[in-house]
Amino acid sequence: MPPLLEAVWPYLPVAIIVVVTVVLAWLVGALVGGLLRRSSPPLARAARQLTVGAIAVIGATFALQYLGLNPAIIFVIIALLGATALIALRGVLGNYGAKYFSDIYVPFKIGDSIEVRGISGKVIESNPMTTVLLTDNDHLVSVPNESMLREIVVNTSPQAWKEVAVPVTIGSSLDLAAFESDLLKSLAKLRSRLDPRFPPVLTTKSRTAQSTDLVLTLMLRRPEDRDSITAEANKRVAEILEGARAPRRTTG
Amino acid sequence: MPKLSICINTQTPLLQFRASENGSLVDPATAPAADLSNLREGVDYRFSPGGVTRMVYPLVRRLLKDKVLDEAHWVSLNPTAPPTIELGRLTLHNIHLAPDRMAGYGKVKEAIWGRIHDLNPGEPHGDLFWTEAFSEYAYYNRVTAELIQELDRRHDFDAFYVHDFQQMPVGHMLGSLKPKIFRWHIPFDASTIPEEWRAMLTTYLDAYDVIVVSARRYAESLGALHPKGRVLQRYPYLDPSEYSRPSSSQIAEVGERLGLARSDDIALVVARMDPMKGQDVAIRALARLAPDYPSLRLVLVGNGSFSGSKGGLGLSKSSTWRGQLEQLVQTERLGPRVVFAGHVNQTELDSLYERSRFTILPSVREGFGLVAVESWVHGRPVILTERAGVAELVRDGTHALLFDPDDPAALAAKMRALLDDPRGRLRGKLVRNGRSIARKCSIEVAVEGEKSLLTEIAEA
Repeated sequence: MPPLLEAVWPYLPVAIIVVVTVVLAWLVGALVGGLLRRSSPPLARAARQLTVGAIAVIGATFALQYLGLNPAIIFVIIALLGATALIALRGVLGNYGAKYFSDIYVPFKIGDSIEVRGISGKVIESNPMTTVLLTDNDHLVSVPNESMLREIVVNTSPQAWKEVAVPVTIGSSLDLAAFESDLLKSLAKLRSRLDPRFPPVLTTKSRTAQSTDLVLTLMLRRPEDRDSITAEANKRVAEILEGARAPRRTTG
Repeated sequence: MPKLSICINTQTPLLQFRASENGSLVDPATAPAADLSNLREGVDYRFSPGGVTRMVYPLVRRLLKDKVLDEAHWVSLNPTAPPTIELGRLTLHNIHLAPDRMAGYGKVKEAIWGRIHDLNPGEPHGDLFWTEAFSEYAYYNRVTAELIQELDRRHDFDAFYVHDFQQMPVGHMLGSLKPKIFRWHIPFDASTIPEEWRAMLTTYLDAYDVIVVSARRYAESLGALHPKGRVLQRYPYLDPSEYSRPSSSQIAEVGERLGLARSDDIALVVARMDPMKGQDVAIRALARLAPDYPSLRLVLVGNGSFSGSKGGLGLSKSSTWRGQLEQLVQTERLGPRVVFAGHVNQTELDSLYERSRFTILPSVREGFGLVAVESWVHGRPVILTERAGVAELVRDGTHALLFDPDDPAALAAKMRALLDDPRGRLRGKLVRNGRSIARKCSIEVAVEGEKSLLTEIAEA
């Protein structure tokens, strides 16, 4: 056996563990993403990241154990580091986590007028830490995202109860025009549940080389249909994305 | 002033190509760009009649010449054209749409058009934005917006200039923070817009920084909807230098082709074949005058628009309307007194203006009515529907003769006034004063306005 290979040979199982961990994390991440494809995109993304992170930690533990380190000590070190990070960043992490949940469960969006903790204003920004309000006297107020979950938030925008905003992300290889056309056809079947004056509208929010972020806006006829319409719209979006096999358009 | 790069969007293309048997002059897959020098105008392609060629193209050329623009890209629906055509620093980008998509798009476009022009008021319209046809309308507009986005990534435009009501969703679909101007060419009367449409129209119109309309009353009506952008009123315009005085042989030639005698008194209508253009009113007015004026003949110039052409949307509206008019001519026993000239080239059109005694614009609704300006440029008086945008510049009996297009007898009376004017005093007065309006609607005035608008919004 050549000297170089002889030196590397003992570490080969570690390399195999790393490769298996990466492949496993990717597969399980994709599986979780697939299972949650009809739920809210931020929730599906968070679940996928959590799954991938857990598998990476388990893989790393195996690899370190193979190298002769005591797993109990490794776990203690990880736990201590984790606890320290949680204590040090509890405010930041709380806000960060709250952002995920408020996106899904608190009914307001940028442009809406809301009241929270006695402050009222128009939402002009929602970042991972805070929601920024512009008050009537032109003051900018940052409300920590945690407050959006802990406090009572009142959306005072006209007809706010009617509006359902469904985030949609589509890959750049997909024909957006065909997707929109199919989606409008599909959603027209829900017309009896939607306000006839406000047909569905798809708005482009941002675009990268890989994907386009859109928001589908629906206006309800009855407030109690909010959950069911949101779920139905997500389902229809997912079905069209799954079935999309349309080639790119031919244009100049 | 910095040189700007803009993207223009119209539904009607600048150039229309004759469709071959397989539907396209050039195979888009094998011919990415057309060299116009290898093609013949009038044989392989022609300039689209109407505002695109009369207004938008001269403006773009002028702005390029004056170095306001560094380059311009122009996106249109053009199913039989090559994907791109280079015209110096102007590049035309042509969108091809499958026939089934085009049918749905055309249906919605016509429905919006009809409602805004207050045609067929009893027709149901409330569910238009929920129909399958609307999904095709959205498809075409999204394809347009996606192509403009793609061009923007390559050329980094300073502004987008969207024309035509049917392209209204493009601004919203672009999702760009760059300035967007929308030119609404047809009439605007908020009272004709159904309640069920208002939210959708507001969503689309709110995407524009500036909305330009052709008449003051349209601006007032649109302003009442409180769109987010600014509402501006600018009169449409044309370039008088593009109109030449034809030679006597050219005038004789077109007269011969259409079977016109030298002694004929020609009343001219220049409009595409569309019920909204009111050619039937002119025929009914002629029927009232025919016994008293045996040499009076009505010449109807124009055929279908891009929407009615085989190379365009292929809608049957224009051929159906022409059939109805021919039937009306028979019913009124007018026979050869009405001449259907169809599409004519520029020289023939100039010749017909020269050959005519007066021009009639009988539209039931008319966004502006550049034909009136054309007629004044040719020194011909105009009998004008009071429902045209240009009518707000006109005093009856001073600049033109105005009439209610629902009343053929009123039109006949105005025609009689010009026919019974042996010394030409009325005619001279109308032409002299009409020309003062034509000067307000010239490209010279428009260029300054467009320059300041583009510069202002690009710098803002």
